[in-house]
Amino acid sequence: MDPTLIGQALLNGILFGGVYSLMAVGLSLIFGVMRVVNFAHGDMMVWGMYLALVLAERARLDPYLGFVLCAGLLFLLGAVVQRVLVDRVVDSAHEMQILLMLGVALVLENTALVIFGPDPQRVASPLTTATIWLGPLFVDVARLTTFVVAIALTIALYLFLARTRPGQMIRAAADNTYGALVVGVNVPRVYMVAFGIGAACVGAAGALVSAFLPFQPASGLSASVTSFNIVIIGGMGSLLGAFCGGLAVSIAESLGAVFLSPSLKELVSFSLLVLILLFRPAGLFGRRTP
Amino acid sequence: MPTSRVSRRTLLRTAAATTALVAVPRLLRAQPKTIKVGAIHPVTGPLAEVGQLQRISAQLAVDATNAAGGIKSMAGARLELLTGDSESKAEVARTVTERLVNDGAAVIMGGFHSGHIMAMVPVAQQRRVPFIIDIGAADVITRNVAQSVKEGKQKTQYVYRIFPSTSTFGARAVQHMTGVFKETKVSPKRVVVMYTNDAFGKPQSESFVSAVKAASPGFDIVEVIPYPEDAKDLSTEVSRVKALKPDILSPITRPATAILLFQELTRQRVDLMGVVSPGAPGMTQPRQLEILKEHLEFVMASVPWPNVKSPRTQRVGAEYSKRTSGKSMDETSFSYDAIQVIADVLERARSTDPDALVEAIRKTNFNDPIMVSAGPIRFDEVGENVSATTAMVQILKNKPLVVWPRDAAQAPPVFPRPRV
Repeated sequence: MDPTLIGQALLNGILFGGVYSLMAVGLSLIFGVMRVVNFAHGDMMVWGMYLALVLAERARLDPYLGFVLCAGLLFLLGAVVQRVLVDRVVDSAHEMQILLMLGVALVLENTALVIFGPDPQRVASPLTTATIWLGPLFVDVARLTTFVVAIALTIALYLFLARTRPGQMIRAAADNTYGALVVGVNVPRVYMVAFGIGAACVGAAGALVSAFLPFQPASGLSASVTSFNIVIIGGMGSLLGAFCGGLAVSIAESLGAVFLSPSLKELVSFSLLVLILLFRPAGLFGRRTP
Repeated sequence: MPTSRVSRRTLLRTAAATTALVAVPRLLRAQPKTIKVGAIHPVTGPLAEVGQLQRISAQLAVDATNAAGGIKSMAGARLELLTGDSESKAEVARTVTERLVNDGAAVIMGGFHSGHIMAMVPVAQQRRVPFIIDIGAADVITRNVAQSVKEGKQKTQYVYRIFPSTSTFGARAVQHMTGVFKETKVSPKRVVVMYTNDAFGKPQSESFVSAVKAASPGFDIVEVIPYPEDAKDLSTEVSRVKALKPDILSPITRPATAILLFQELTRQRVDLMGVVSPGAPGMTQPRQLEILKEHLEFVMASVPWPNVKSPRTQRVGAEYSKRTSGKSMDETSFSYDAIQVIADVLERARSTDPDALVEAIRKTNFNDPIMVSAGPIRFDEVGENVSATTAMVQILKNKPLVVWPRDAAQAPPVFPRPRV
């Protein structure tokens, strides 16, 4: 096996892992705080991509700057979805929540289909084909930028949760809802903000990859499935888990494409999932629920 | 008086009946009857865009036929398109076909997704309605029907296809590649095939690989690399291609993965004589050209294509462009040819009796297709159009131009691609 090829695959895996991590962090946050699995996560990501497209085509805003605006808009979308819909089923059985979120996913996907049509799209950015060569290895500038921004956003989110007062409230509501209510935390508002942040993360991820990853309205489902896979591998509700899970899945897929047939690369990530469920059912960084 | 009352009624009845008898044929003669043609396409859902274009193409041909006087051998009978929407779902394709047959369709046409066509075929066979497939490549569609007719399980084959089958795609691609290489006096040796691993890509790549083996055209396939249909990243796959040092990359893509692939080829500066696809969507569509721009320059693809050099195709193309707000014709124009063939069949059959129609379909020798064709449209014993072919289209200055076969070519092929 060609060592350059393996090195390149490892590098590609790490760089793309940043995106996976950011996607999964959003999903994990929402689940961690309100125990709702956001099945519309991938479709929110696709909406992040379409917003980046609109901003690029109408306002000539590069997606590597426009992602901030996309994240903001997705925050609003997430907050509205939470307040109007999810809030009604927070205490309901899981199947009720799943049905609702699948419904939201369908609405988001088909709205995109009506507005943008079924064609695959891509956002133009000068970074798309820029490369840096490190000897025989190349680094894709767009992916590198995405990786750096994704890592920065994840760290910022971590600091927000750990160091700020609203962050503490979110953690309190996640750890012990009644306790938080007793000490005066406005739990419904915390839920709304947490859902918004989760949606903003995946919206930012969508905008950041929109320059090199083609998308169409139907792309949401596979993004959702990938995010779940990562979150389960990393441990439901754990941000560190989601982050490391994203890198692990991406590297596993990339190396799988070298050592196995590329069309089996998803087999590698899902095998990883099965192994984790067999030997560490709570995930790499998950805590067992008592 | 009772007798006179009865006789007056009888008189009236007789008079009415006589009038009716005399008048009805006159009415028929005055108003040519309409022949209903069922057109089933995926007009909504993920395949909506193609399905809509297919429907427009079919309607265009119906309008042209009617404007030219309808079916002359049947007293100028007019064609009426009964449209059906398969909603991009196989089970809906089947029920819609049933409905159109119930509504009186004498012939049905349509398709796109081979899976949907497989669901429509049993309806055509059971209800004895001739079915002309406009688009849909899987070999098994016609082969299965021909087989069961041969074995005596079914009496007649009602299913015929004008679109190239998967094995035709492979064989024609190799023919065109050999032609282009000979023309440009270059002999590439190493070919790497990449394909999207789904119901379309896998058989398409297999057909190409076996056509290369059968023809021994002077180049060999050194590796076949499948990748997932919903791939999010092809950088490792392209690194693998690069390590194999091929002369030619033959990708079988879908539009989304084509975007990933061509960006990645540029980014990793893969040194190739050229990219030549044995036939796949993603390299010649206007939106793809707009997105990929210079990444597609000099790329060749062996795809079904309108015969743009023919003045008639140009006229149809102008009308098509008017009805589609500026689009140019592509493979969906096979729907136009399907209706033309149906009109020709009706003309010769002089009836809508299914067996008379099948008889006429078998004797089809249609000279005037608007698509690039290897001769007149004729059907073999399996129900395939023996002249179904593709054209080698090359992207030159961001425009798809036919470069091979020579008689349909708009420009000479540029191969190997110039080094930047």
